[in-house]
Amino acid sequence: MEKKFGVYICTGCSIGETVNIEKLKKKSARVAKIEADNVRVHHFLCSPEGLELIKNDIKEGVNTITIGACSPRVKFEEFDFPGSIVERVNLREFVAWTQEPMTDDTQSLAEDYMQMGIIKTQKGSLPEPNILQDLSKTIMVIGGGMSGLSSALEAAKAGYQVVLVEKDAELGGWAAKLYKETPRQYPYDKLEEPRIFNIIKEAESNQNIKIFKSSVIEKTEGQPGLLDVTIRKNGTSETMRVGAIIMAAGWKPYEASKLEHLGYGKSNVITNVQMEEMAKKGKITRPSDGKEAKKVAFIQCAGSRDPNHLPYCSSFCCGTSLKQAKYVREKNEDAMAMIFYKDIRTPGQTELFYKNMQNDAGVLLTKAEVTGVSDAGNGNLYIEAENTLLGEKIKVEADLVVLATGIVPVTRAPQEYLDGLTEAQKKGDEAKKAYIEATPKPEFILNLDYRQGPELPSLEGAYGFADSNFICFQYETRRTGIYSAGCVRQPMTMSDAAEDAAGAALKAVQCVEHVAKGIAVHPRAWDTTFPDPLMIKCTSCKRCTEECPFGAIDEDEKGTPFYRINRCRRCGTCMGACPERIVSFKDFSVDIVGSMIKSIESEEDEFRIIVLACENDAYPALDSAAIKRQKLNPKARIIPVRCLGSTNLVWVTDAFSKGIDGLILLGCKYGENYQCHFVKGSELANYRFSKVKETLDKLQLESERCQLVQVSISEYDQIPKMINDFVERVEEIGPNPFKGM
Amino acid sequence: MAEATVIKPDLDFVKGVIEGGGDSLKKCYQCATCTVVCNVTPDSNPFPRKEMVWAQWGLKEKFAGNPDVWLCHQCNDCTAYCPRGAKPGEVLGAIRKQTIKQYSSPEFMVNFVNSKPFIPVMLLLLAGLLSVAGTFGIPDGEIVFSKFASTHFLQFVFTPALLFGVVVGVLGVKKFWADMKKAAKVSSGDMGGSISATTQEILSHIKFKSCGVSADRFTSHFLVFYSFIALGMATALGVLYIDILHIESPFSLTGTGFPVKIFGTIGAAGLLLGVLLMISNRFKNAEKVGVGSYFDWLLLTIVGVIMASGILSWVTRVAGIAGVAYTVYFIHLVFVLSLFVYLPYSKLAHMFYRSAAICFLKYSGRETRK
Amino acid sequence: MSEQQKTVLVIGGGFSGLTAAVETAEAGFNVVIVEKTPFLGGRVTQLNKYFPKLCPPNCGLEINFKRIKNSGDITFYTFAEVEKISGQEGNYEVTIKQNPRFINDKCVGCNACTEVCPVEISNEFNFGLDKTKAAYITHNQAFPFKYVIDSKNCKGKACAKCAEACKYDAIDLDMKPEAVNLNVGAIVLATGWDLYDVTKLDILGGGKIKNVITNMQMERLASPNGPTSGKILRPSDGKEVNNVAFVQCAGSRDENHLPYCSYICCMASLKQATYLREQYPDSKAQIFYIDIRTPGRYEQFYWKVKDDPNVTLTKGKVAKLEEDTATGDVLLTAEDVLLGKKITARFDMVVLAAGMVPSTVASKIPTDISYTNEGFIMPASLKKGMFAVGTLKSPVDVARSVQDATGVAIKSIQSARR
Repeated sequence: MEKKFGVYICTGCSIGETVNIEKLKKKSARVAKIEADNVRVHHFLCSPEGLELIKNDIKEGVNTITIGACSPRVKFEEFDFPGSIVERVNLREFVAWTQEPMTDDTQSLAEDYMQMGIIKTQKGSLPEPNILQDLSKTIMVIGGGMSGLSSALEAAKAGYQVVLVEKDAELGGWAAKLYKETPRQYPYDKLEEPRIFNIIKEAESNQNIKIFKSSVIEKTEGQPGLLDVTIRKNGTSETMRVGAIIMAAGWKPYEASKLEHLGYGKSNVITNVQMEEMAKKGKITRPSDGKEAKKVAFIQCAGSRDPNHLPYCSSFCCGTSLKQAKYVREKNEDAMAMIFYKDIRTPGQTELFYKNMQNDAGVLLTKAEVTGVSDAGNGNLYIEAENTLLGEKIKVEADLVVLATGIVPVTRAPQEYLDGLTEAQKKGDEAKKAYIEATPKPEFILNLDYRQGPELPSLEGAYGFADSNFICFQYETRRTGIYSAGCVRQPMTMSDAAEDAAGAALKAVQCVEHVAKGIAVHPRAWDTTFPDPLMIKCTSCKRCTEECPFGAIDEDEKGTPFYRINRCRRCGTCMGACPERIVSFKDFSVDIVGSMIKSIESEEDEFRIIVLACENDAYPALDSAAIKRQKLNPKARIIPVRCLGSTNLVWVTDAFSKGIDGLILLGCKYGENYQCHFVKGSELANYRFSKVKETLDKLQLESERCQLVQVSISEYDQIPKMINDFVERVEEIGPNPFKGM
Repeated sequence: MAEATVIKPDLDFVKGVIEGGGDSLKKCYQCATCTVVCNVTPDSNPFPRKEMVWAQWGLKEKFAGNPDVWLCHQCNDCTAYCPRGAKPGEVLGAIRKQTIKQYSSPEFMVNFVNSKPFIPVMLLLLAGLLSVAGTFGIPDGEIVFSKFASTHFLQFVFTPALLFGVVVGVLGVKKFWADMKKAAKVSSGDMGGSISATTQEILSHIKFKSCGVSADRFTSHFLVFYSFIALGMATALGVLYIDILHIESPFSLTGTGFPVKIFGTIGAAGLLLGVLLMISNRFKNAEKVGVGSYFDWLLLTIVGVIMASGILSWVTRVAGIAGVAYTVYFIHLVFVLSLFVYLPYSKLAHMFYRSAAICFLKYSGRETRK
Repeated sequence: MSEQQKTVLVIGGGFSGLTAAVETAEAGFNVVIVEKTPFLGGRVTQLNKYFPKLCPPNCGLEINFKRIKNSGDITFYTFAEVEKISGQEGNYEVTIKQNPRFINDKCVGCNACTEVCPVEISNEFNFGLDKTKAAYITHNQAFPFKYVIDSKNCKGKACAKCAEACKYDAIDLDMKPEAVNLNVGAIVLATGWDLYDVTKLDILGGGKIKNVITNMQMERLASPNGPTSGKILRPSDGKEVNNVAFVQCAGSRDENHLPYCSYICCMASLKQATYLREQYPDSKAQIFYIDIRTPGRYEQFYWKVKDDPNVTLTKGKVAKLEEDTATGDVLLTAEDVLLGKKITARFDMVVLAAGMVPSTVASKIPTDISYTNEGFIMPASLKKGMFAVGTLKSPVDVARSVQDATGVAIKSIQSARR
């Protein structure tokens, strides 16, 4: 495409009163290499008349457009010109609303912004989607329990082919082992028959669903749309291509053998799982003598909410024990069910279930910390508890004790195994590594043939759950195209799991649809650009493969990285990581940003600061500060980046060699509760910056001239100060000695 | 750490409370709203939250020597604000019934007086006794009730009945007092002071004044309480006039026995008003607290009938309608007798146990001055 | 997939509705959002931070707004209501009433109208904690960034100061309601929730005691875009607070008010305790509860807050709050259940953890639906192709609303793809 440039400046919203438009026009024209008269100025550019100017020019062949007006976050519909390269320069928020009017500083700031915008359009080009061949839209579901079956049915009903893989010989998982279910609808007063059997029937008779029982995943390779999954069944393997995977592999009850302090191991102490089995068979009896149990004690949080066992609440056990108390009562009206709880957790409308279940003469409840379970003779047991509602330390006899054991996701064992190995390797602890390898390998689920490891990466503080780190984006995944659902994701009840499964199914559908169009998936779900490396210059240093948060880059047998582009989320972390600067997007590259930086003139007597701002949080925060008409430092030039992870160290050199005095990075919070939408962009940027000292030393510059600040979108009232403080520190250090060279 | 107390949940006790008017018992989820809105509970070990959980667990031994269920004046603030509809006020009433059962002997009497055949049996009993005395029937001539039941007959039958009631009650209180001392681990206190303070509290009805939703209970209970005293006075004066001054009944406001009549009339009027108020309160608060149990209604019925039949028999006597007057008078006697027998076993026994509990609260020093 | 695809209508532009909309659109469908208020984002725009990550809701909103801006498949109507629904799955006819905003698309967001507007009104976005003008925008990250004129309070053309002040011809005081008709394949109901009216909590002094505020007011106080720019100051005298009580289940789990549990309040109060503790290092927070409900991994957050020695958790429901008129302090009475003691304590301010009421209590969806006694939608009563999300079915938090809304997206495409 031959570029024909158009430059437009709006003078509305006090831009015209803040900046000398004539000068700005001339400067822009010079940079864009067009006639100054062809730079269009309008007092209200977003009005129909203003837009007409642009549209007319487009008709005349203009296809590369720079618009100096308001923030790109507003008036997005008005300034949308499909087929053209469009760059919006934020003259309103970053100049008119935040600077002193008509000063030299303000003028030069506005001119720099226009210049950078035009350069971006000069260097960039229109993206074209990268659509791979032979894509599959089939969705694979791992796990045939409530979650897996629900996911499979939802995807199938939406018109997609589904392959469901279940490790056991029968479908249904835990749901099929229940005697009754807790009520699913208002008024939550009656136990219900398990629904799973109808769901199994429905899945088995659905034409779109192919079911593999007694099967496991031997290997998963490829990328979304092109995932080749090898399924092993009875010793034979079969490979099939699918587009996306839903992992609904479920959970295991917490090992009761670890609950000796609650009496497990004694003959009349059972778990809630055993209770279901017993109720399903018939009477509630004591294992020791087969006599009907008349005093049944339920100990809640058996393992859960316990720092020595599971540091989370398993979410379903309160409801389950209330339900099982009803079993006890329904099967024998002279029997008592005593529930010892830490807190009764029946959130939302399930409170009504609690209310209904407790309203029974023989259901006895107390808050308690159970301190022990001891023998009381005849196979009976004493439950000892303190901090009860009964006002004292108590001891009560029961003839059957049920431990309400919790949920352990099946992802936990493989994760711990793998994390152990990684850690041992990191520390160079060969003995530990050998020890771990000698222990029996847990059952892996996905067996990904990815350089980054065979399973979903573990999330800090998630205790093995394959959860999202985000509240707003529950199906966020670091392995594109693989979504978890149900109890592998979070502890949840069966009804919640069915709901959750539907969500995961939608994400899988989105994924296969997006890769079919060559578009990224969340969070840049509109993006048709993709990283396009100049492989000829690749040194196989593998930094990109290591740093990519999504495992999008693998290595061939020679060790040369190559992209699995459908795994890529377009954050640009690889672009930031690459020391050879070979990774580029059509509209975002090392060269584009580098050229923008280098375009800034920094005279002897002026301080110039570059602000690289994460476009997701820092940039909107800056806009918000502007809306509140807070002053921004006139020496700072703000350049948005996709993610701080895309920050390439060469930009530091670019900046300082051109006489820029300081470089500040504004990015998301990182660490355990990271807010970075690309997992660890700001963290990586910070890591790289810690290494920047070397570069600066080489240039004989103070490392304080570079700084990363974590900022959230709501800290807009602090952002101007953050920048000012930085500028002040740089001013104290003094001007960049490379100025003017 | 103190040794753990072995608790023994008793399902039958739970069922007893539920059947005895505490059918909302199991709805309680121990939020303690009741304790906070209760204006009569002491601050330390307050009630009724803990009583609710004890009753839910069927811990009947906890109620032995527990003054708190009696400190409850059933003003039902707790019931009104209970978020679960557990009606602690009603449950405590049911627990009190269980406690009365526990302290009154012989035990079968408790079930009997609270059972449906109680009144018919009393009716037959009185009819039988009157037949034996030979006066069962409608006498001729001027309507004089002593023709139907002589003063001596009344003294012969009713005095022992009352005495029986009081003795059973007092014996119960004695046991209760001992249990309270044991439960609270209190060995001594200021008995005289406590009794006098208790008397003051009862006479002034001060606790009733702190009721929230059923503030009218002060008025109604006050009226009923003092009406009973007035009626008691009338009876005592009657005995004085008849037995000592040998002035025969019927008395009239203008005759020598006018003080009897004054007290009687005041008592009857007060009782009428009080009972009507109680009934209307029950219905007024029904939405929030429920209309009450059989246990509650039986007492109200007995008192109501006594009051109504008393007034009616007087009116019909003055009007000279012999058939009605004697019949109504007979009913009046049946219910008075019932009241006496019923006294230690019924809701009315609260006069013994509540007084004792209030007294013990002062005696043990648990009640903190506000 | 090339068969006929119908549009999906999402009623409600809060976080559930936005999620349902963007997720559906990104699966390749056209979506229309209808939002009753002048802005998208709903309740979460009023929150300072999310539990348990303590991250700002505007972060996720920004991403979702960006998804809308870039999608091209999403149309939204703000300040609009659904008036009529007829038809069936795959073919619903819907009439939308677009209420007059009195400010047109030319608005650039310059604030000139607000500056000149002479009418001050109670700021409902801040739950009445401060005042705003009749021409206003709720906050500086509002979306769409387009002002609105409150017709109830605007003096109309007689005043028209704003129209004079606006350089962009964006004020149109003659604007009339307009009807928009749509044909859609599926309808997602996501009209969200309202806060329980605490004035009904007589013994807790709701609405009467100045320094007894609601949890949502606490969010506004702590928000940088709130009435105090994020400083937690008590309403009576603007004093800094040092000692704050949180009253759990203020209305919830109470059959005199809301018999269900409102799900979010335990986590919300724990979170708000951290706001306080962060702002005032010596401050104390005391949370009075019946049961602490922090399901799943939220338990960790509970532990973290509980470990703060200046945060006390007391089992026992508060059933009495009184005002000390001399100082403005609040006297609180509760039973410390585990100690068996009735206690009365003094606090600078008390936060009522008020519960959630489904929006369908105030305004029903104009179609045949059965509701529970408490006003929640009974999902089984919905017609085919119609789906309720999140808090319309049962109280849930943002995370579960997102889960549900994403799940509903697949169901809606099943109905829209015919």
